Amino acid sequence: MTSADRAAEPCTAPGRAAAAPAARPRRRRSLLRGLVLASLGVLAGVYLFPFAWMVSTSLKPTRELYLQPPSLWPLHPTLDAYAAALVGAGDWVLLRNSVIVCLATVAATLAMALLIAYPLTRLGVPPRFRRGLLSWLLSLRFLPSIVVVIPIFATVRTVGLYDQLPALVLIYTAFSLPFAVWMLKGFLQEVPQEVEEAALVDGAGRWRAFFRIVLPMISPGLLAAGVITFALAWSEFLYALILTATPRSQTFSIGVWSFVTEFEIIWNQMAAVGVVSALVPIVLLLGARRYVISALTFGAVREKA
Amino acid sequence: MPVLFLLTVVVYPLFYAIGLSLQYYRVGGFAGLHNFAFAFEDRLLGASLRATALYVVLAMGIECLLGLALAVAVQRTVRSALGRTLAYLLFIVPMVTPPVAAGVIFRLMYIPEYGIVNVVLRDLGYHGRPILWMSSPGMAMFSVVSVDVWQWMPFVFLVLFAGLSAVPPDMIEAGEVDGAGGWARFRHLELPYLKPLLLLVLVFRFTDTLRVFDHVQVLTMGGPGASTEFLSLYLYRIAFKFNNLNYASALALYVVIVVSILFAVASRYLSEELA
Repeated sequence: MTSADRAAEPCTAPGRAAAAPAARPRRRRSLLRGLVLASLGVLAGVYLFPFAWMVSTSLKPTRELYLQPPSLWPLHPTLDAYAAALVGAGDWVLLRNSVIVCLATVAATLAMALLIAYPLTRLGVPPRFRRGLLSWLLSLRFLPSIVVVIPIFATVRTVGLYDQLPALVLIYTAFSLPFAVWMLKGFLQEVPQEVEEAALVDGAGRWRAFFRIVLPMISPGLLAAGVITFALAWSEFLYALILTATPRSQTFSIGVWSFVTEFEIIWNQMAAVGVVSALVPIVLLLGARRYVISALTFGAVREKA
Repeated sequence: MPVLFLLTVVVYPLFYAIGLSLQYYRVGGFAGLHNFAFAFEDRLLGASLRATALYVVLAMGIECLLGLALAVAVQRTVRSALGRTLAYLLFIVPMVTPPVAAGVIFRLMYIPEYGIVNVVLRDLGYHGRPILWMSSPGMAMFSVVSVDVWQWMPFVFLVLFAGLSAVPPDMIEAGEVDGAGGWARFRHLELPYLKPLLLLVLVFRFTDTLRVFDHVQVLTMGGPGASTEFLSLYLYRIAFKFNNLNYASALALYVVIVVSILFAVASRYLSEELA
């Protein structure tokens, strides 16, 4: 860290006579602490409430939606809204599409990311090329997707992939690759070179050494990268909106959105699909929570929680 | 090498876009820089750019200031590991909620007649006309910004909190012995550690707010009027509602150029942190 040395400068604080062990400042400090803690508690409530409200709305029967004043919790909780949205409105097809697209994206992304990250860390790649490639990958992260989607739309239409699941898999893979490469690069660097060399000396081929030694050692990284790729692809909206047209290829995000655009919004069904679409990544990423921040910042921040 | 795959997916469309941007809309044929020049006469584009700028400044500013304050507050008051883990879990939930679902959540809360926000306001003694959170210009901006803050302030918080945890505890102790008060401790001991992370957070939040699309599309669809029609929504409308891919490509290329320049500047500082 470059700024560490600057931090070591002697600090010039105002209070010189710190020796006063007075009880009063301490009490004031604990009062302040209590206040801060209380406001943090309130903030936690504010943060969780929107989510709880959506869950509560999704469990209400239609009659209860328009109660004045609205009840905080459903009086007669029911799963009707879920059934109506998923089965009645046929959104389970979109759910299935989403699962297929996400799984295919995860498989393709992991395979390709390994194919890029492994040579980068293990083979004699010139450092300039290495740095250039990595920073180019990083720059893709910052490109607004709407900018890329216009030519991609035109291309996909000419190729004949419009309104087809493979088009989405292709695009999602391309745009998950940057962070997956960065993440796997970090994990690969932690596998000591000697371990692999030992395997090579023992007569294992490069492939064998890779599959038997390296791959198991980075399996936590693969799992985390896979989970995060899945969640990102699951949440994606813009490409899906533009590259699909019919339930044949629409993903669940589109299903959620289409509840909003209908003339009369059925609030409890909209809340129900919202819950389903939010629950999948939340459950997945709570499992991989240790890696979320690290993945979102391209490994710049290592979180341990 | 699969890099080639990425190159084709990214570079080929780029050339395709250049090709498109040099042609006339509908009639086709070589147009030179006509589409690029038209951008300067486009008043809707101007309005969209102003709205985008306001959104970026508001969302990014509130997120970074609140996130920073919160990181410092939690670092100093919540000492138990359990409390910190709870804070972590609490904040990771909005972040991983799909933006579309976040839009749905706030859409539910902001319904004028029976949305919970207006009901609570009424209980608190507000008896004016119900506030139209999504269909009056100022309030619509507030609503879309609030979703962004709800989702991404935790990101700022978690990154900066991780940074604060990296400050060596004996340095803080030494500072306390020297009589450093709360502010001095932040200004001279912690801030130097946070600076690179602050830069990182700013770059990420800037680029993400610049390209915001999903939750706005759910919440206001750019309305009312064009008050929340940010750059991405404007491009979307031109390209896919008016089918003018030519002009949209020209605008997209402008954005690519601007973002690339910004990235080139930022990456000089960022690469030290990331590599």
